Amino acid sequence: MIFKCKNCGGNAVYEPGRKKMYCPHCESLDSEDIVRDKSITQCANCGAPITIGEYTSASKCAHCGSYIVFDERVEGVYEPHLILPFKVNKEMAVEALNTEFRKRTFTPSGFLSEKSLEGMNGMYVPFWLYDYQANYDFAGTGTKVRTWRSGDTEYTETSYYDIERHMHAGFDKVPVDASLGMGDGEMDLMEPYTYADLEGFDPKYMSGFFGEVYNQEAPELEGRAKEKVKEASETLLRQSLGGYTSITPRNKNLNLERDGINFALLPVWMYLYQYRGKTYRFHVNGQTGKVVGKTPVSKEKVLAYGLSAMVFVSTITSLILTILEVL
Amino acid sequence: MRDYLKFFRWIFVIIGVLIVVLLGIEGLHKAIASIGYYERINTECTTTQRVFDHADVLTDKEEQKLEELIAKREKQTRCDIVLVTLNESLKEYAREIEPGVSYDQFVRVYAEQFYEENHFGYNKSNGDGVILVDNWYREDDGKIYTWFCTTGIVKDTYDDMDIDHILDRVYRDVETNPYKAYKTYVNDFYDDMLGTRAFDVDVPKGMSLIVGLIAAVIFILVNWKSRSGKDTTTAVTYVEGKRADFSNNRDVFIRKTVTKRHIETNSGGGGGHSGGGGGGSHGGGGHSR
Repeated sequence: MIFKCKNCGGNAVYEPGRKKMYCPHCESLDSEDIVRDKSITQCANCGAPITIGEYTSASKCAHCGSYIVFDERVEGVYEPHLILPFKVNKEMAVEALNTEFRKRTFTPSGFLSEKSLEGMNGMYVPFWLYDYQANYDFAGTGTKVRTWRSGDTEYTETSYYDIERHMHAGFDKVPVDASLGMGDGEMDLMEPYTYADLEGFDPKYMSGFFGEVYNQEAPELEGRAKEKVKEASETLLRQSLGGYTSITPRNKNLNLERDGINFALLPVWMYLYQYRGKTYRFHVNGQTGKVVGKTPVSKEKVLAYGLSAMVFVSTITSLILTILEVL
Repeated sequence: MRDYLKFFRWIFVIIGVLIVVLLGIEGLHKAIASIGYYERINTECTTTQRVFDHADVLTDKEEQKLEELIAKREKQTRCDIVLVTLNESLKEYAREIEPGVSYDQFVRVYAEQFYEENHFGYNKSNGDGVILVDNWYREDDGKIYTWFCTTGIVKDTYDDMDIDHILDRVYRDVETNPYKAYKTYVNDFYDDMLGTRAFDVDVPKGMSLIVGLIAAVIFILVNWKSRSGKDTTTAVTYVEGKRADFSNNRDVFIRKTVTKRHIETNSGGGGGHSGGGGGGSHGGGGHSR
């Protein structure tokens, strides 16, 4: 489908800054009409043939530049349950990137001025969101050790405790990206999204952006979600076991019960920069503006700072030693 | 350059604070020292020599450096500081003065005699001061004896534990580096008399450089490669209500055990200690190795 402006016939797109549909040609707001497509090989606007990837659900016509959302890829089994509309627009994404580049001390100073933009896309990335009820039973022995001195004798007192825990935690919408083209590590670092902005799926939010359907089925990816829940459960249990010197578990049993699964589209900006013959890829969270990606590192700068660190740390150490000596 | 200053701003602050603290302490020390100065008033003592290296374990230069250090420390502590090294049996000499005296006391007899004969003492003959006699000769019993003899105000300041402590520190280096050991004797004496020693850690000279080097290596390794980003999720990010519920939360005390360990306070260089002086005007203590 294509969103056409009622007033001028131009291609209306979703504008995150205004939170409205916007026609860039006549600047009308919320003036869109839906024009449904008949095929995924033809542009619904100009009829030019288009080729799309296996999982593409939203794209741009190379011929007329219209943003197309493919009906059959957002319906039926492919219809997302939820969508998190873009909140960060292009300008905000670029600003977030530049702020991040400046913050990274060891980025070569030339990177900011010399780099050239190679590509930039706003993309709705398919995610599976898993809900779990986690129940953790734990039993073990803990010790607390106290030592003190009296005269020439050192006393060590070890107290033994019997520990039992039953922990329950409801995990809501643990995300795992279902796009083969996106790195798992990068997508994990995109987290967290604020789920308060999640909405029921509406294809209009996809106009102006790219999108994919899930590349893998939910059961296939559940392992990663369970890993995340397990790790978080371990941390929560550990936090409840503070104050002990040592803990010997006798029984540990984490039971995960899956509550529900949602197919959701979450917003990500992708930026490709070219700098001195190399391509650098960045992802910006389309909701929070969090930046993920590796910047080039100026080795000279790192070495110079490292050398400075050596001088400073040595100075501090010798100052402290001198003070202790003259005290 | 601006980035650089900003990056290390806390380091600069720390260095600044430390320098101020150091200058403050040194100023205070100088002020205290200038109040307490007074000249040596003992006129009976005819020698200006303080280092008597009869065993010849020090070079001429080391002797001279020790003499200079002692001259400075004497003014600061208002005590005479004497060092004697020997390499001869004191058996006959000591038993002549005190018949039947035990092996470990030979050095004591010598120290007391030497101190008195030379009329040492900062305020008067046989007055405030200290003498260390280190006899490198192995007596019949196979041991080398050292004595730390105190007189006047020093006798009041040093108890047996203090003497053990300073002799332990001297013994740490005496075999490998006598000069360092005797320097320790003079400097520790100064610290003990002025009560200025808060930490008796022996820090090797290159230590701060090594610490700096380690810091630099860690710094460079950490920053050599760019990281994608930080993990900003926590354990409760996806947990409903942002907390886990504990329907069972039981910590029951079962039992306790107490173990005892005796702490060795005697760290003398493998040698024995002998306390007590011969009574009279001197105090002191000895070690053997």
